[in-house]
Amino acid sequence: MNAELRSRLESIVGPGLVYGPGEPVDGVRPTLAVRPGTQDEVSAVVRACAEAGAAMIPLGGGTSLGLGNPPARADVLVHLDRLDRVVEWDPANLCISAEAGMRLEALQALVAKDRTVLPLDPPGLRRVTLGGMVAANPSGPCRLQYGTVRDWVLGMRVVLPDGERIHCGGRVIKNVSGYDMNKLFIRSLGCLGIITEVTFKLLPMPARRAAVIGRFPDAATAWAVVGRTLASFLLPEALEFLNVEAAQLLGGPPGTCVLAVSLSGSSETVDRQVRDFTGFFQDGGGTADVLQEAAASRAWEGIRDLLEGAYDPILCRIAVPLSATPALVAAAEGMAREAGLKAVVTAHAATGVLRVLLAPGADPHPGEALMVLEGLRREAEAAEGSLVLEAAPRSLKARFDAWGTPPGGVDMMKRLKTEFDPLGICNPGRFVAGI
Amino acid sequence: MSEQAFIRDLREIVGGSNVLASSVDLQLYQYDGYLEEHRPEAVVFVQSTEEVAKVVQCCNRHGRPFVPRGGGTNLTGGTIPFGGGAVIEMIRMNRLLEIDIPNLRARVQPGMFNLELGNALAPLGYQFIPDPASQKAATLGGNVAENAGGPHCFKYGVTSNHVLGLTVVLPDGRVEKLGGKAADIPGFDLTGLFVGSEGTLGICTEVLVKVVRQTESVKTLLAIYDSIEEGSETVSAIVAAGMVPATLEMMDQLVIHAVEASLHCGLPMDCATLLLIEVDGLRDDLESQAAAISDLCRAHGAREVRVAKDDAERALLWAGRRGAFGAVARLAPSFLVCDGTVPRTALPQVLKKVSQVAAKYDLRIPNVFHAGDGNLHPLILFDWRDADMKARVLKAGMEILSLCAELGGTISGEHGVGLEKLDAMRLVMSEADIQAQRRVKTTFDPANLANPGKIFPAKEVACER
Repeated sequence: MNAELRSRLESIVGPGLVYGPGEPVDGVRPTLAVRPGTQDEVSAVVRACAEAGAAMIPLGGGTSLGLGNPPARADVLVHLDRLDRVVEWDPANLCISAEAGMRLEALQALVAKDRTVLPLDPPGLRRVTLGGMVAANPSGPCRLQYGTVRDWVLGMRVVLPDGERIHCGGRVIKNVSGYDMNKLFIRSLGCLGIITEVTFKLLPMPARRAAVIGRFPDAATAWAVVGRTLASFLLPEALEFLNVEAAQLLGGPPGTCVLAVSLSGSSETVDRQVRDFTGFFQDGGGTADVLQEAAASRAWEGIRDLLEGAYDPILCRIAVPLSATPALVAAAEGMAREAGLKAVVTAHAATGVLRVLLAPGADPHPGEALMVLEGLRREAEAAEGSLVLEAAPRSLKARFDAWGTPPGGVDMMKRLKTEFDPLGICNPGRFVAGI
Repeated sequence: MSEQAFIRDLREIVGGSNVLASSVDLQLYQYDGYLEEHRPEAVVFVQSTEEVAKVVQCCNRHGRPFVPRGGGTNLTGGTIPFGGGAVIEMIRMNRLLEIDIPNLRARVQPGMFNLELGNALAPLGYQFIPDPASQKAATLGGNVAENAGGPHCFKYGVTSNHVLGLTVVLPDGRVEKLGGKAADIPGFDLTGLFVGSEGTLGICTEVLVKVVRQTESVKTLLAIYDSIEEGSETVSAIVAAGMVPATLEMMDQLVIHAVEASLHCGLPMDCATLLLIEVDGLRDDLESQAAAISDLCRAHGAREVRVAKDDAERALLWAGRRGAFGAVARLAPSFLVCDGTVPRTALPQVLKKVSQVAAKYDLRIPNVFHAGDGNLHPLILFDWRDADMKARVLKAGMEILSLCAELGGTISGEHGVGLEKLDAMRLVMSEADIQAQRRVKTTFDPANLANPGKIFPAKEVACER
């Protein structure tokens, strides 16, 4: 099959753009890798794979490659890096369509020229591609104000597992012409098809930006300030909590945790919020450092990417109802300590989403890490939340499902998978419940 | 099985008095805000998720279709029982189940009116953003089914952005909980898929929504124009200047006259169009935002800009906007609410063409709409007793939808496809796009019992699978 499929793929994309074996995904090495250059070529590649019964793994910037379970099968790695063009840019109507392999950072730099923004800030933003971001649904601190990918995608083009090309949504904010098919593909981890183009809505660029970084003697004082913020009228873009271990990575005095706010808007509202937050932080027993413009942006990059780039990380994302966040942070610290590990925790403090990095890396302590993850998952699920593995060594993944207890509607999810991908060739086995 | 057995079984589930089956009763449920009529076999009033599940299972046993119905405010025929069967009336499932301020969530039954949720949250200092103009009579279940938003969608997103979880009865009668209070529940976003599915994927029996803090302050402006083009150009100018008002609504002279005659809001009768603009947020920059918007309005031809002095004035302006559809009933015995969306900058162009369509078909078409979203609502006036006129209305409506599609927009912004726009789907979708949606429908509802006959245009033979 391989030689035949290889020559077929070469005939679609050209000889230099098929190679083998592909880069490993969770230790599974695809026999071939292919780099299509257009959406039509993606369609032809998928059709060829479907006819050969070959399992495909779509790949963007690779930032979410650790998310989910190891692939059940992997024959062809489909790199989307050559699909990096802007398809249509309409600044006056605040929307842009671009191909899936375009980097988020490149798109943001482009739209900034017209003083607009796409306010999504996933970790590792420099490497994240549009398609990867839509498929894997990572989120950054600014989800507090702006929500997640699902709130910004107006439309997309997808190549279905049989090679058929479809278009979902459109270019307008309000669109109820049939089902909202975008939602089916957002966060589906590429297991219902390959996203080839995305249309986003944009926002006018705020006039000003600032940050207030506070240090607190303990978590309780920091969470009290979070509570006060939530009860206020203030509208921070992001409110991020870093536990003592995470704050240490960011630099600064040891033994303190950090609460940071990002503010943007008109001069008047930024000034007001800088003033109010400085007051909140100091009244709450913390310090307050005010950063403006570029310095504020740099500080936020640091916070956003704090947990990226660790060698051989065990990294999980926990989402719980907002009020359960402090308890989950404390549980992560407590369980890690008992297991002889450290928990580096960052939390989107006003949305109930936290990320936990267990250090040191897994290999010296596989059993201990497993125990911590299992305990944390129990706590998260008891609070009606979830724990999802974002990265872990394969040995650990073999003993710990990346997604946890299947969600409501899982039978319907499996049926959708079978309907759209009857051959089971689109990123098989990596998603929820073995999908 | 006979109709009698079907009705007897339904009565056994919900009690005899909760099933309507007399000719007069059924006649009242054979229509909604659209122009077609189809009679159900029974209307079933349900009180709980369990009852809905049993009723749906009963429909399955008898091979009868079913359609959920709330306030019946839907305008595209989505609640018309096209295939007969049972209308499942959700209006008594109207309880507020939970307000959870620490987690910024509320859980409601689908029969609750949109405005009632707002009224329950307001004293606590919180709000639920989606607010369709019909919010007094529109139920939250209907908002979910149609993804029906309102004036605030431009700044705060559509209904789908505010719905985080659903309890649903699937077309085979099984109950599933989708989504939840926490963010990012793993798995496909079935909640997101369900919102806007027009009752064709099942029936939601509980809705979990996001609530947000009320804004600190609001300012409401009324800009008055002698030409429609100038009004619609202002809309783009405000956005181009980097401002995102909470609402940007527009109404034309015919609507203004009708509103004044009904509601006496103090609107000027001699202008061509009005923009109702609201900015909200922290109080610190609202004065300067309002001033900048006023300047822009004047620069684009507004002859006057009024700023509401207090809540009473603000309420009066909004009463005019929210009452517009009702007030237009003064102008003609019937009207068809057209609902299409265009990119905002195409508004002046599409409004001009709508007036050309009106002239071509010899019809009056007032306009009142969400200008910020590019979501227009030409209201095509007619007399339902005049068959020739009705035919012209349908043609005019389709022509307006074609215009929206040609200008890069779409055929429905908030009212859905229903029965009205089956054929219009092909204006914005390829056969493959439609086929993919059909696959979703088939997966959820292989027996095609959940609100059949809606959304999907007749199949093209070439695409039979």
